[in-house]
Amino acid sequence: MALMGSERDYLILTNNPLVPACMEGKGKFTIRFLAEKNFREILVLARDMVYAGHTLYTHPMAGSVKPNETPYKSLIVSVEPHGFDGTHGELMSNAIAVFDKFTPIGWELEERILKDFQLIDYTLLAGAINFDAQAGLSNKK
Amino acid sequence: MKLELGFIQINDIQFSKECKVESNTLYIDPDAVKAFMYEDDDVKAWVKDFSFDIAKPGESVRITPVKDVIEPRVKVEGSGGVFPGVINKVDTVGSGKTHVLRGMAVVTAGKIVGFQEGIIDMSGPGAEYTPFSKLNDFVVVAEPAEGYQDHKHDYEHAVRIAGLRAATFIGELGRNVKPDETQEFETYGIKEGIEKLPGLPRVAYVHMLQTQGLLHDTYVYGVDAKRTLTTIINPTETMDGAILSGNCVSACDKNTTYHHLNNPVVAELFAQHGKKINYVCNIITNENVYLADKQRSSDWTAKLCRLLDLDGAIVSQEGFGNPDTDLIMNAKKIALQGVKTTIITDEYAGQDGKSQSLADADPLADAVVTGGNANQVIILPKMDKVIGTLDYVDVIAGGHAGSLRPDGTIEAELQIITGATNEMGFNRLSAR
Repeated sequence: MALMGSERDYLILTNNPLVPACMEGKGKFTIRFLAEKNFREILVLARDMVYAGHTLYTHPMAGSVKPNETPYKSLIVSVEPHGFDGTHGELMSNAIAVFDKFTPIGWELEERILKDFQLIDYTLLAGAINFDAQAGLSNKK
Repeated sequence: MKLELGFIQINDIQFSKECKVESNTLYIDPDAVKAFMYEDDDVKAWVKDFSFDIAKPGESVRITPVKDVIEPRVKVEGSGGVFPGVINKVDTVGSGKTHVLRGMAVVTAGKIVGFQEGIIDMSGPGAEYTPFSKLNDFVVVAEPAEGYQDHKHDYEHAVRIAGLRAATFIGELGRNVKPDETQEFETYGIKEGIEKLPGLPRVAYVHMLQTQGLLHDTYVYGVDAKRTLTTIINPTETMDGAILSGNCVSACDKNTTYHHLNNPVVAELFAQHGKKINYVCNIITNENVYLADKQRSSDWTAKLCRLLDLDGAIVSQEGFGNPDTDLIMNAKKIALQGVKTTIITDEYAGQDGKSQSLADADPLADAVVTGGNANQVIILPKMDKVIGTLDYVDVIAGGHAGSLRPDGTIEAELQIITGATNEMGFNRLSAR
């Protein structure tokens, strides 16, 4: 039986440093900060977890920022596997297919642009789970 | 609910010490607009200064980065005021009379984040892709106050409010001007509509609103639509500014406030209302990131379509990627209720147009109208004048390293142009 997950079941997979800075210890969720992984590698990790039976809680293509623009990706899967869901598997594999269709942009992003991309990724994640994004920013570590 | 729109044609905008609309010309004192914008405390707190410019069709002018485009309107009869719950009190709008300053727009521009937002070219090939090149644009460029970097939510809010206040101030100048043309729009109650228009197919417009987070939000009567359930709204309410854009990401397919006020789906459904169809209402639903929200909202959309006993539904989306899932969920679930469904979208089909267009699909989504391929490459010539800044062109959606060439031309994808592949169909691109 598929039951609704609680916040304790949220495992946030992210390569965005702003996420742990603003959210660590501020909720019942778990954050796995993977600084060394790129956007696509976060998607692949999530896909593999979904294939292994973890529930997908947020849409992998959140935001209208294109996957070839921003280096950051945060999404939420379940801490524990609850059984494979084909719809979630399809969402993940489609997201990777979409990523691969965009032409690499090939720019060096300046620090100010990187910070803005971090901010957008973080607010999309926060918005998804009713986390107060502004409060998180005010109490940033 | 019945609304009369009185269209006052604006053929020219002139800076002046006096503010008035006369002989189809808007005379405007920027200092008066500025003073009105600064009456708002948030604007005062977060906007250091405003500069103003006028851009006219055919000029060698580029406006960038564009935040929102707003058409000035004023309510002259009936309850409430334009932009309810935000500028005016939250009274229900959509009935009575409203004056529209047609042929012009307020365009807000200036940096918020160091990427995104769009370009409006007033001439050249780029102008063909944006409807705002055909208007006289009163451009408001905002400059952030010190320390805004850590308060971008506040700053985005302040610029959004500033634009709406500028449009409100200008709209008010049309209050006592006799319109050049008037047009009436009316939808009926459920039973009333069936009695008045017997036998006509009952059609509603499912209007999906961008609702994901900072720079990706839409407001309905002042409420952040992320936190709403799918609901019903009279189409005339949207003509009075009940739906406002807080979305500045993905320039080509964002719905600006101008689009919400002049929704082409609403216009076309009204054109057929009482002739080929019975236009019942609009259903507004959101595009959240949380998957359970998507399921709840699309279930609710289908429930409302069934409850209204619809024969047909038109569904439009806003944005890229994530909303494709909501679009397909809506289309599929509505179709399963036995309601004929058509979707409007745009495409990200790759620069060669050969990739799959949407991030999601379903066999039941078998009637599709496209607004064009956002990955199509375009070269924009140098313009004599830039309003705003070109600092961000390389990192704007649709741009790439070297997009801004040394000779001032820009090579980029259509994504870069405000309104180029609008998913309500308010543009010139499509395909068969």
